[in-house]
Amino acid sequence: MSRLTWAALGAASQPFLTATVQASSINTSSGWNMPVGVTEISREVFGLHMTIFWICVAIAVVVFGVMFYSLIAYRKSKGASAAHFHENTVVEILWTAVPMVILVLMAVPATATLKKMYDTSQADIDILVTGYQWRWRYEYLENDVEFFSNLATPREQIHGTQAKGNNYLVEVDEAMVVPTGQKIRLLLTANDVIHSWWVPDLAVKKDAIPGFVNETWFEVDEPGVYRGQCAELCGSGHAMMPIEVRAVTPEDYAVWLESKRAAAAAEAEGAGREWSMDELMERGEATYATYCAACHQPDGKGVPPAFPALAGEGISVDPGALEDHKQIVLHGRSGTAMAAFGENLSPSEIAAVITYERNAWGNETGDEVQPAEIQAMLESE
Amino acid sequence: MASDTSQATVQASTSGVAHDGAAHASHGPTGIMRWVVTTNHKEIGSLYLLFSLVMLFVGGSMALVIRTELFQPGLQFIQPEFFNQMTTMHGLIMVFGAIMPAFVGLANWMIPMQIGAPDMALPRLNNFSFWLLPVAFGILLSTLFMEGGGPNFGWTFYAPLSTTYAPPSTSFFIMSIHLAGISSILGAINIIATIFNLRTPGMRLMDMSLFVWTWLITAFLLIAVMPVLAGVVTMMLMDINFGTSFFNAAGGATRCCSSTFSGSLDTRKCTS
Repeated sequence: MSRLTWAALGAASQPFLTATVQASSINTSSGWNMPVGVTEISREVFGLHMTIFWICVAIAVVVFGVMFYSLIAYRKSKGASAAHFHENTVVEILWTAVPMVILVLMAVPATATLKKMYDTSQADIDILVTGYQWRWRYEYLENDVEFFSNLATPREQIHGTQAKGNNYLVEVDEAMVVPTGQKIRLLLTANDVIHSWWVPDLAVKKDAIPGFVNETWFEVDEPGVYRGQCAELCGSGHAMMPIEVRAVTPEDYAVWLESKRAAAAAEAEGAGREWSMDELMERGEATYATYCAACHQPDGKGVPPAFPALAGEGISVDPGALEDHKQIVLHGRSGTAMAAFGENLSPSEIAAVITYERNAWGNETGDEVQPAEIQAMLESE
Repeated sequence: MASDTSQATVQASTSGVAHDGAAHASHGPTGIMRWVVTTNHKEIGSLYLLFSLVMLFVGGSMALVIRTELFQPGLQFIQPEFFNQMTTMHGLIMVFGAIMPAFVGLANWMIPMQIGAPDMALPRLNNFSFWLLPVAFGILLSTLFMEGGGPNFGWTFYAPLSTTYAPPSTSFFIMSIHLAGISSILGAINIIATIFNLRTPGMRLMDMSLFVWTWLITAFLLIAVMPVLAGVVTMMLMDINFGTSFFNAAGGATRCCSSTFSGSLDTRKCTS
């Protein structure tokens, strides 16, 4: 093939190459093998993978070697004739015993690593990880810090009206931050359907099942950003709830914890004061885009019947249904995909988003919900 | 020898008209009804194979939709909701509509010939087993046109994505799995009855061909597994429509029940 043709092929395959590189940056270093990862366990997993890979190669060489040698050296055209015998006890015992020994030899190191994976004792930090449709929520149990981690990739990139970034679909607004050199225990569960928390570089993939708590752990040596995705089909947003783990030095971790506490305090303070309509609408639009638009759609039209429309119909335009509206946002709606946001969003966010839903897209109810009202509702429960 | 007799049988049954004088003029139905009510194992085998081929194209076209969308990152042609319906339907159709009927079609053709039987042991049941399939898959495909779309929870249908969070058409999906399951069980019973009862005189089990042996084992496996699958989808049906909590931990579901297919066919979720 001429040089020119190769160049043309190269140019034509450019979009594919870019896509491959982007995808591979998520989980592999070379794109050809699984990642070595950044934890002791992930290195052991990689070692096991390579050990077993080479055992397979050795078996393949022996088996196919004998097979092809026999096919070629004893072919009919050279006058070979088949041996006529059956039942050879020695051979039968050998071909049973040899694979068994190989399997046991592989199981010994694998079991040793599995035992380490399951040892969640003596953890320094416990984080409750909850899967939602379609975001993760992290709660630092010892430190009173909790937050949602939402997809940060802009809609324009997903719909192709904007060039895709390097971390397309594997970037979040708030990453899970952990200190290096400390054992992090994850307690995994889910709020709605089964999800799975998967970060290849940490060699962690664990199901998050509603009503049950699974445990796993990891300990990162080097600071860095490690990305992953949900690994159990959980609905139409399954590809849009990535995981981002930022490992930082213990000093930076302490600073981060402090900033999270300060932000939470500022948020709580905001609930006490009177908000203007413009403020509510602005905050509401941002909150809606992050938490509501995945189901109810950015234009409020929803995807009926699973996700009802909010624009121009239903409780968000019914002047008498303001109380129902608040109740549904706070407590969810059982038997449907509508989650309860009362415990997870701040009163300011909830007040703002209800105000937004009742006044956006031509829903002109004029209703204005103040954070203090929501605060009072939550406290009276 | 076997091919000679098969040709003779096919000629006799397809020509239909008198081949042996007017006294033997065809009594059987003609036209489409001939295929609807046929009890001939080779004709039913051909129906199975044809059905499998049609389903291969239907399921295959869904795979083409999936691959067209995945041709580049980002959303190009279809929305995630429809994409999930395509992956789910593709899986269900290829496993239950293409692979299994193809294997059953070969069984219908080959087993009677390989064991020297004139037909399957239960020819009318054989006909019924086949005609359950078009009904089952007609129902399954019709869900794509229902409000909220077809099943979108993956072919392993883990609850509660496949119950509480599933589209309203899920009850139809369950109905179609039930019908396909009944078809498989009846087919398996027929194959076991044929192999055990209709072997040519003097043929011992160890004289049978490997193909007949694989089907004998498979038939027993199907009888063991299909009722479990039917039980699982019935539990889903109860959770969706009658307020039970088989797959709802808040209502007392146990760990192994918290996933459907895994609860029956693999133990992945139980051990994770």
